[in-house]
Amino acid sequence: MTDTVVADGLSKSYGEVQALSDVSLSVAAGEVVALLGPNGAGKTTLVRALAGTTPPDTGSATLFDETPSEVDRARLGVLPQAFDPPGRLTPRELLRYYGGLYDERLPVEATLERVGVADVADTAYEDLSGGQRRRTCLGITLINDPDLLVLDEPTASIDPAGRRRVRETVAELASAGATVLLTTHDVAEAERLADRVGLLVDGELIAEGAPADLVAEHGGDHRFVVECERPGDADLAGLGVDVDRVERTPDELRVYGAGVDDVGPIVDHLRAAGVDPTGLSWARPGLEDVYLALTGETYDPSGSDRDTETEREVSA
Amino acid sequence: MSRVSRVRAEAVAAWHSFLRRRTAVFFTFFFPLILVVIFGALVRTGATGGGLFTEPAGYYAAGYVAVVVLFTPLSRVGSEVARTRDGRRFEKLATTPLTRTEWLLAHTAVNGVIIGLAALAVLVLVVGLTGAAVAPSPLLVPLVAAGVVLFCGVGATLGALADSQDGAISASNAVALPLLFLSETFVPPSLLPAWFRPVVDLSPLTYFSRGARAATHTGDIGVALTNLAVLSALAVVAFGVGAALVPRTE
Repeated sequence: MTDTVVADGLSKSYGEVQALSDVSLSVAAGEVVALLGPNGAGKTTLVRALAGTTPPDTGSATLFDETPSEVDRARLGVLPQAFDPPGRLTPRELLRYYGGLYDERLPVEATLERVGVADVADTAYEDLSGGQRRRTCLGITLINDPDLLVLDEPTASIDPAGRRRVRETVAELASAGATVLLTTHDVAEAERLADRVGLLVDGELIAEGAPADLVAEHGGDHRFVVECERPGDADLAGLGVDVDRVERTPDELRVYGAGVDDVGPIVDHLRAAGVDPTGLSWARPGLEDVYLALTGETYDPSGSDRDTETEREVSA
Repeated sequence: MSRVSRVRAEAVAAWHSFLRRRTAVFFTFFFPLILVVIFGALVRTGATGGGLFTEPAGYYAAGYVAVVVLFTPLSRVGSEVARTRDGRRFEKLATTPLTRTEWLLAHTAVNGVIIGLAALAVLVLVVGLTGAAVAPSPLLVPLVAAGVVLFCGVGATLGALADSQDGAISASNAVALPLLFLSETFVPPSLLPAWFRPVVDLSPLTYFSRGARAATHTGDIGVALTNLAVLSALAVVAFGVGAALVPRTE
């Protein structure tokens, strides 16, 4: 595939803060690439440098083999992170307005339907909810039927149903041949949407690849968590199951490297040893584990925000 | 055609946004009208016949129109630049085919309509309240248009240089007030010290006032055309500077 977006050694600093440090990245035609990273990692700066709205200190960027300042802007659909269009205009008027800046545009009514704001099309933008506003902004971004979408946190402030709608819209556009570069804090969203994921930390692109490849390389072991009252009493000697390691917390036993088929034998062994599990969960590593491992951010694995698709609950 | 379409799209959006800011609409028209009421009808000339507002009423018609031509574009375009920058709209527009010049052209056109209507209302009120003899010269149209272009350019410059909407409004007031009183609008040159009078020529508003007064009061077409020429040249420069400074990147 031809590369639609190419960043070559981009660096950018704001005073003493190094926002981007020698970042190189390419996005092939028709590909969806998601940029993940903590706040201040440089995602927005990278998107701006690629969209041509901030000049890099060093390095170069091309879109469709042209510099951002020379590229045909009718081929671009850029959604800035904190974009706030004129608040007194309605979604219908906003789509007409931004559509009027292009020689060719999509039908306004169909675009309002597509992003799910047709029912509030005549309400002033400033009176919309946060999710409706962001979806209106997405409609503005799509109105010129762009070949390349650059979306800086497109699902920020949107409720789960709205997020799903945005994800479906982006997936439809990608399947229709559009190239998509997006930033997000939602790891599950990146895993679902993206062909490839780039992980930025402190302005550096520290990992990049298909989600499955990143998980295989950096995700670590399967994890079997046994909730019980006295995990210290559990003697796993003679378990007969090949595991990588075991960790104990005051109320949990964490067994790493245990396959899903090992769950039954482990539970039987614990019960035989007098440890009565009150809850069980088994999870294969996901992109979130990769994110946490590579960014060094802390995370409580017993929390409720794990990606449910990569988790299997087993009744005790 | 596409350039015209882009300017039209931007202008229509700006026009609708303006009309829905009711307080902005009200004060845009109320401010010059209240000036006419205060200085045209309430303030009286001193017993000696000297000082401010001692000229015939028609002399000041150009000054009242100058208030509209000066204040409205300075404050509206300056704050619009700041507001658009704060909402990341310039960042978005930079990725569309709309150019800086087209953006400023669209907002200048909107201001032209607003100021044209306000100027008309002012002239009607001046004649009605003060009985001023004001000639309905067609030259007033290009004079107002050139003034609008000029001060929209200056407004864009102030908005681009100010770091906030408040800053843009403060800067426009700081520029507008001295210009208003030192540009042959309400203060005749004879009331200024001789050494200061050349400074009046440095104000672009002076050429609007002189031209508008020549067109509507003294009837000296040559003076009106000369000042229109100077005003137009200054408008081209101010518009070019303003368009170049309209933000396009963060």
